[in-house]
Amino acid sequence: MLTWLDQRTGIVSATKGFLTEDVPGGASYWYAFGSATVFAMILQIATGIFLTFYYSPSSSTAWESTKYIIEKVPAGHFVLSLHYWGASAMIALMAMHLLQVLLWGAYKKPRELQWIVGVILFIVTLVLGLTGYLLPWDLNALLASTVAIRIAGNAPILGPAVLHFLQGGDGITTLTINRFFGIHVWLMPAALVALVAAHLSIFRWNGPAGPPIDEAPKLKPGRFWPDQMFMDTVLSFGIFVLIVALSTFAPVPLDDKADPNNSTFVPYPAWYFMALYALVDLVGALPPALVQAASLFATIIGPTLLVVLLIVLPFVDRNPSRRLSRRPWVLGLTALTMVAAIGLSWYGQNNVVNGQLAHNIIGPGAASLPASTAATSSEAGPGNGTTTAAAGTTAVTTSGGGSNPGGSSAAGSAAGQATFTANCSGCHGATGQGQPGVFPPLDGNPVVVGDKTTVIHILDNGLNGKISVHGTTYNGVMPPWKGTLTNAQIAGVLTYIRSAWTNKGTPITEAEVAAASK
Amino acid sequence: MGHAEAYTDPGTPQEQSRRTFMAQATIALGGVIGISLAIPLVTSLIPAADASNQEWSPLTADELATLKKATDSTPLKVTFSVHETNGYFGASDSDQFVWAVRVSDEEMQKARPELYAGSAKLPYPVVNMGFTVFSPLCPHLGCRYAYLEAQKKFLCPCHGSEYSLLGVHEAGPALRGLDPLPLRDYEGKVEISWILYQANTPAHVVIQVG
Repeated sequence: MLTWLDQRTGIVSATKGFLTEDVPGGASYWYAFGSATVFAMILQIATGIFLTFYYSPSSSTAWESTKYIIEKVPAGHFVLSLHYWGASAMIALMAMHLLQVLLWGAYKKPRELQWIVGVILFIVTLVLGLTGYLLPWDLNALLASTVAIRIAGNAPILGPAVLHFLQGGDGITTLTINRFFGIHVWLMPAALVALVAAHLSIFRWNGPAGPPIDEAPKLKPGRFWPDQMFMDTVLSFGIFVLIVALSTFAPVPLDDKADPNNSTFVPYPAWYFMALYALVDLVGALPPALVQAASLFATIIGPTLLVVLLIVLPFVDRNPSRRLSRRPWVLGLTALTMVAAIGLSWYGQNNVVNGQLAHNIIGPGAASLPASTAATSSEAGPGNGTTTAAAGTTAVTTSGGGSNPGGSSAAGSAAGQATFTANCSGCHGATGQGQPGVFPPLDGNPVVVGDKTTVIHILDNGLNGKISVHGTTYNGVMPPWKGTLTNAQIAGVLTYIRSAWTNKGTPITEAEVAAASK
Repeated sequence: MGHAEAYTDPGTPQEQSRRTFMAQATIALGGVIGISLAIPLVTSLIPAADASNQEWSPLTADELATLKKATDSTPLKVTFSVHETNGYFGASDSDQFVWAVRVSDEEMQKARPELYAGSAKLPYPVVNMGFTVFSPLCPHLGCRYAYLEAQKKFLCPCHGSEYSLLGVHEAGPALRGLDPLPLRDYEGKVEISWILYQANTPAHVVIQVG
């Protein structure tokens, strides 16, 4: 059968040829990051294709179709979460692969072009991450993309043209979503697949570099199949299990629909841009004379310089020795960059996001807005799921004011939902799914449906410090709501969240809130 | 390579000349296809001039009344209607807002001298009718900032830039203060004009007007 197939197609011989390859010094888990990255890419393409069966790119359907995928499509939330966590995995694995090649000096002659194609692949993958971020068209998508687009627009000379091109016009509109969709779904994946093919062809031409020693010919060759392939598969499988676990226990959140007029939502960048985000923020702490130069450096010059440095590295570092002990400069710079990236990311996550929470952008501490603002945000119509007043200041005034008078109907689920949409969904998400690491999910959260006094106290007094839900740690800041929301509103919103989504808790009455709040 | 037998014989000079022609013609024809495709494809990506216009209507009586309620200690968010083109969805009315602060020209000149001279100078009155209206976009990277009554300042949620009531940049990574927009009373109709300035520069570089 195989012979018949091979005689007519040559496919069996070609596969054998592909699998028969010497691995200098034997198979190693060190070599598995590249193939695990390819695995993550395949996972992204597979899940991405299925998402396009439902996703619809336009300003009036992008968020709605994403919400539909999450809420209605069977296994839709899981597939979307696989795509979300798969993106993180792909970038993390690619970074590990890059680091390994860097440490082992595998970029050196004759592998310069393989290295350069790899660096371009890394950029393409980051562009995929960035463009994918806009597509759900929620508040975070809009603000994160606004910042990214404005940074691009700030580049010297070409900036304004790039801004105009990316937006597809003068502002971020429905055309921008289509543009990012075209880039994310067609242009970049096509480039990715072509470049991976080139990367692998060049790899097979040069053969594996082997460990970082100078006596390569003395190494005993090992087998690619099945020895190395087994290790590749084990790592890919481990990563797959991790992605499935994350998708199950920390599914991707969807914030409220993008609203250009929302000025209180605190956006959060993807973790792989957290270091750059921190850098942009830190610039503000410099003396005024330095801020402009530092700002340009943090947003444009620094990242460009890093890419240029990586591309020219094999031509600058021309010492043929790959021994670790003979390459102190490259290894030192790599270590320094890694320490800086990790430190900045840590600063970004902790100080920036939590610092802004402490700034009271979110929460009732910033609640007293002028009347005109309240009038504006009440037009948003709390409770319709597409409210424009997502979190914080404007919304608080709204619910305290006109749209929910007296709280007499607050026990009703509709009023509770309105209160929730106006005040809580900004952090906990429209579907109570929370935000990974910061705000816990309310859906399926045992505390939410558990002891009444406990949940009333949390709402009354807020919550600070690390908490754990389903084994995941959250470290956001929940503001106290007592005094901002009436007892009736608190009862209404608690009744709502205890019975919404998959929750099946008992209602809470105004009297119970009053009793527990004493 | 059994398939490549034809290449062992270099052929007659005529054949060689023909092959040279065919090789070059193949590349030329491929090139014509490539360029003929690339030109319309790239052209299609140039944004149409009317892809995302917005027209700011004059303030209505109610909106004007809101504006006039602004004081020097309480800025007001003045919301008004814009006629906005959203690509293939065409034009529709939506809300836009600016922040209005009551201030005299002298005070403003004292607080924000850069608006009156130098590279950040504005070619229109910063204060008109006793008010300044600020663009809702943070001059850092274009997010919409919020007003915090408790702290009497404007604060951007994206990177934490802070501004005083008169738009003076006080903290965070922004490179200039809030951008005043032209406000004018035109034959009884009060109009605010939209100007988008380049983000993250100390100077006022106009990206788009109207």
